[in-house]
Amino acid sequence: MGIMTYTVVLYNYKRVYLNMVHLSSFLLKTYHGGHIVIRLAMAGHKQSNRPFYRIVAAYNKRARDSKYIEQLGSYDPLPNIYNEKLVSINSDRIKYWMGCGAHPTKPVAKLLGLAGFFPLHPMTVTETERHRALAELAEEAAPEDGVKQQQL
Amino acid sequence: LSLMALRLRLKNSFCHSFDAPVLTSSISEVINLFLGSPDAHVKPQFLDSEVQDILTRITGLNLEKVFRPIKQELKPPKYKLMTDAQLEEATQSAREQAQRLLKMPPVLPERKPINDVLSEDKILEGMDTAKYVFTDITFNIPHRERFIVIREPTGTLRKASWEERDRILQVYFPKEGRRLTAPPVFKEENLKVVFGQDRHEDMLDLCQVQFEPDSSEYIRVHAATYEDLEKMGKYDLLRSTRHFGGLVWYLVNARRVDGLMIDMLQKDLLQDAVSLVGLFNKVHPHSETAQEASSQQAYGLDLLKIYAKRESQRAGYVELALQAYEQTSAESTV
Repeated sequence: MGIMTYTVVLYNYKRVYLNMVHLSSFLLKTYHGGHIVIRLAMAGHKQSNRPFYRIVAAYNKRARDSKYIEQLGSYDPLPNIYNEKLVSINSDRIKYWMGCGAHPTKPVAKLLGLAGFFPLHPMTVTETERHRALAELAEEAAPEDGVKQQQL
Repeated sequence: LSLMALRLRLKNSFCHSFDAPVLTSSISEVINLFLGSPDAHVKPQFLDSEVQDILTRITGLNLEKVFRPIKQELKPPKYKLMTDAQLEEATQSAREQAQRLLKMPPVLPERKPINDVLSEDKILEGMDTAKYVFTDITFNIPHRERFIVIREPTGTLRKASWEERDRILQVYFPKEGRRLTAPPVFKEENLKVVFGQDRHEDMLDLCQVQFEPDSSEYIRVHAATYEDLEKMGKYDLLRSTRHFGGLVWYLVNARRVDGLMIDMLQKDLLQDAVSLVGLFNKVHPHSETAQEASSQQAYGLDLLKIYAKRESQRAGYVELALQAYEQTSAESTV
């Protein structure tokens, strides 16, 4: 009979026949100088006009939408019929990856700050203030337009 | 009993494990110990072992009704050749299966609304026009303890209300048969139509699947169903199903047991009637019936007579039925 061989099906559906010796190099791929990040990856088909993000732990060097290590949640940026944006967070696993030294990106940090999982991100406050200033400017412009229309 | 006609009921309704906290078998005894004095009496709860015994006995076990053919995937029937002994065994296992299927869903008090605000951040006001709903999808937490928080556009971070919780848990952890919005059958007008078609049992099963046992919707639909059954006197519809215990409990707590009593006497179910009065006495120990019964140590028919005298509004009817029963029993013995 000889040594036991194992069949591994790779992500590109090719079958590879291995002995025990070879298994490890296929599973533990590390990048030189890379680290793990927790970020938003766009999920779903690229041609549709409907964004949907997954909160994901992935290697820094990988493409945004390609293979990740683990999915830690989801974020739907379009509000539903109850005017809610649904965000799911797997707090247990996020704590694990943060403990392993993963860095969250700015959007993820903002979301988690809004959730109460992290302290509030300073940029959230700044953005809110900017948004409010813009809204006030728009309000001042709108009555002026209305007055001008009446004059005309 | 033709075994060919016995087909196992799909366990649709039983895939849903009740997430309500499990109460000990005799909670009133535990509370009594706690209170110390033996005179202080705590009302017996639905899930006490004694109450459950009485209710299971009253529910009955009609195998034909429990295993009646229901709508399921069309498969060719299986025929088995059996000896008498094997048929006995199969009937016995069917009986046990039926007992498990007849397990009563819990009756819980209505849940209190959640009004917890975790943080008020006025600096975040006007950041967005939509709410953010954050759900914790860690796998090993029971659904009742999960964190579901909402960040409003005004900046407050609050816990989600019960209805929002139910909806969002259905999004992330869907239960089979449950819909995100309640089907319009549960509105008052539509309920009446369904009751007109005698489909109370289906209604209650649907309600079981859709709502949590302590939600206001569940309690409202159940109350409406029980009221309609009591008004029409159609107790037989629920007789060998798992909802009968709930019906009896509701009627006993509302002290409107007359219709059920008369129905039982008409069907010659004397033991059931006696157990019913016994349950009534347990739940309302300060009523006249209970006090007289305990003073006289009455059993059997005497209990019924005391009940007819003291508590019942249609006393004449109950006494007539009792007399008729006594006559028939006398004639059958003679």
